[in-house]
Amino acid sequence: MSSPALLKRFLALPPSLRRSFWSSSARASPAGKPEIYDVVCVGGGPAGLSFVSALKSHSATQGFKVALIDSQDLTTSRTVNDADSYSNRCSSLTPSSLRFLKGIGAWERVNGDRTQAYHAMDVWDGVSGSKIHFDSVDKRSTGLLGAIAEMVPGSRFRASRRQYETSAEEAVVATMCENSSLASALLQRVKDFETEEQTAQVQMWDKTKVDSIDLGPEAEDEKSLDLSQWPIVSTQHGQIAARLLVGADGANSPVRQFAGIPSHGWDYNQHGVVATLHLDRTFSANELRTAYQRFLPTGPIALLPLPGNKASLVWSTTPQHAAKLKSLSPTDFTAAVNAAFRLMPVDINYMLATTTTTTDSQAEEFAWREAATPPSSTGLPPNFPHITGVQLGTPASFPLKMRHADTYTGHRLALIGDAAHTIHPLAGQGLNLGLADAEALAKQIVYGMEHGMDIGSSWCLDGYNSERWAANHAMIGVVDKLKKVYSAGSGPVVWGRSLGLGVVERLGPVKAAFMGAAAGVR
Amino acid sequence: MLPPTPARSAQQLFRRLLALPPPLRQRTFSILNRPPPNYSGHVPLTITERAGLAVGSAFGSLSNPYRHDLIAALGEATSKPYFITRLRHAMLKDPTGRRILSDKPRISSQTMKLEDLRKMPENSVGRAYAAWLDREGVTPDTRDQVRYIDDPEEAYVMQRYRETHDFTHAITGLPVIIEGELAIKAFEFANTVLPMTALSLFAIVRLKSEERKRFFEVYAPWAVANGLKAEEVVNVYWEEELETDVDVLRTRLGISKPPDLREIRKVLREERRAEREARRAREDLGAAGGV
Repeated sequence: MSSPALLKRFLALPPSLRRSFWSSSARASPAGKPEIYDVVCVGGGPAGLSFVSALKSHSATQGFKVALIDSQDLTTSRTVNDADSYSNRCSSLTPSSLRFLKGIGAWERVNGDRTQAYHAMDVWDGVSGSKIHFDSVDKRSTGLLGAIAEMVPGSRFRASRRQYETSAEEAVVATMCENSSLASALLQRVKDFETEEQTAQVQMWDKTKVDSIDLGPEAEDEKSLDLSQWPIVSTQHGQIAARLLVGADGANSPVRQFAGIPSHGWDYNQHGVVATLHLDRTFSANELRTAYQRFLPTGPIALLPLPGNKASLVWSTTPQHAAKLKSLSPTDFTAAVNAAFRLMPVDINYMLATTTTTTDSQAEEFAWREAATPPSSTGLPPNFPHITGVQLGTPASFPLKMRHADTYTGHRLALIGDAAHTIHPLAGQGLNLGLADAEALAKQIVYGMEHGMDIGSSWCLDGYNSERWAANHAMIGVVDKLKKVYSAGSGPVVWGRSLGLGVVERLGPVKAAFMGAAAGVR
Repeated sequence: MLPPTPARSAQQLFRRLLALPPPLRQRTFSILNRPPPNYSGHVPLTITERAGLAVGSAFGSLSNPYRHDLIAALGEATSKPYFITRLRHAMLKDPTGRRILSDKPRISSQTMKLEDLRKMPENSVGRAYAAWLDREGVTPDTRDQVRYIDDPEEAYVMQRYRETHDFTHAITGLPVIIEGELAIKAFEFANTVLPMTALSLFAIVRLKSEERKRFFEVYAPWAVANGLKAEEVVNVYWEEELETDVDVLRTRLGISKPPDLREIRKVLREERRAEREARRAREDLGAAGGV
């Protein structure tokens, strides 16, 4: 056929087909129109999975058509039930996060033998040695007047035993759980919804990359669906439209970029070094465990207990120190970690700055310096364990930064978890804030459903924003200021922060208020 | 109630102190409850005692500068809380300083045998040290033991500083007379920041006016300039540097040699004597001339 004839035939086509011929957007959807879902959750991490589970756990929302998209492979169980090896990525779950996980039925699917609850925290200053001890005794203290009365020497107020009578449940400060353990438990919970009645199945697409997110096309005529304000997610499985698009897709969230929500913050110029350590003592399951954290001028180092004789290390330090630590032999790494808890900062910096190539030199240096550094001068807690080894292959590091999105919601869009905020790990709050976000968003959607709202409208979503944004901002801000205050190596800042810590240590009710804030009391 | 006599009120106070809960009683470090010593010869002092020692030894050593034990006590009483710790950290940051703290060498007449030092090469540190000891008539044994510093490592740092003071004399060539000591103390203050070195500069009031002028014009500027720009002298492993050439060591540390004080004083003394002789000769001549 000749070209002009072809052109005339083409121009005779109806407009919709003509337009679709020239359109370059991918339309692999077999139906031609995107499939509409109530909630599309991009991101299958703990925040996304717990959010979907929370929706499915409520009667008002269990009939929702939900899709979950993740680029990683979610189906393989990554947890190995070997009592001698633990993953180096562990999180500390606060009591309110645990309550949430129990409420959605995910906690019962976590292997209890691989979680460790701890009952006290010892935090001390690496420069001045001033320390603070947190445990459940302060939560049940007798008030501010009682605290002052107890400080009077010779008074009888010390006799109050009420604060020591706590149940095992109440005595827990937080619980350590491997991230992979939690993720597989949540995944199992989401899969189990398939067998439950009245609960619509969750469409789970893993190993699926989101190709693009756009707003839908204009309506072709008055009667057809207007998806121009709806987000359309394009993947290899086709296009889906979301009444509410939830971004749970991590710090570099494509959903947040699609929404055009700016995220402000700064990089900390620190790396978080993680590892799984072996301790000198084996603890049984019913013993009281303590978590330890020491604030060094280069960054805080924390020892978090795991079952048996294991512990998890989280050490925020300079990128140079992190690189040096990862290059050390296991013996030297163990000596360096012991040094970071027991020696003066000048010794720690010297040990990590030396470019010695002989292995095991760090261990000799540490042995000499430990003998010359009395524990009382550095504020070391009396029952601090010796670290005897490190699990091979577990030392790793990741860069630390602080980010907070300007808002968590947009039209038919919400952000939860790391997509919304990134925080310094010194207070163990990152995952807990994400779970709290998931809980709050689910609660808000349930409320919206029960009150007949369009769940994607700002009328419904503003409630989530107002509940979580300010609380998260305050937590991120306090953690950032703590990090900055404890970065000073000498001078009046050290004196001031030691004085403040000493005062808080003696005022039980003030300490209990801080513990409550960190535990996410709601 | 009986009227409170002094004995009864003391008794009441004692009873109230005994009524303190045991943790509070045991926590207080007082003259009745002194902790055990951390090293042999250690005397733990309370804050009041240390303050009293500092004030007393300051005035005592000012009135009698030959009381080296009071100067030592002043140094120990004023070195905490910050200064001796800073010096210890300066040693820990340096590889040689760390080796010194690990080996903990001591300088005494047993470890520094003068016969061996005199045989060392010409212009070496050891030879200069021996020559200086002979010229001033002192031995390495005249240093007091550290007693009032609580941490054993910090006590060693103070002891090391005291024992190597003579080496500083040897490489700068300043004599043991009060003028030379003050110049050395000014240099040490700029170099180690120990308060005792600054406090001993109050002894300037004991100098004659011409010596004082010389101190402020020549030796104080030399001391401050060299002390600040030089390396930490406490980090020098003197036992290993005995055969090093003195000028080489001085260049390595960044110290320049000050004007020889004994020479200056000798020259001035001779000038004054010559002047006096000339004046007497003129007077005698005049008397003889019968004017």
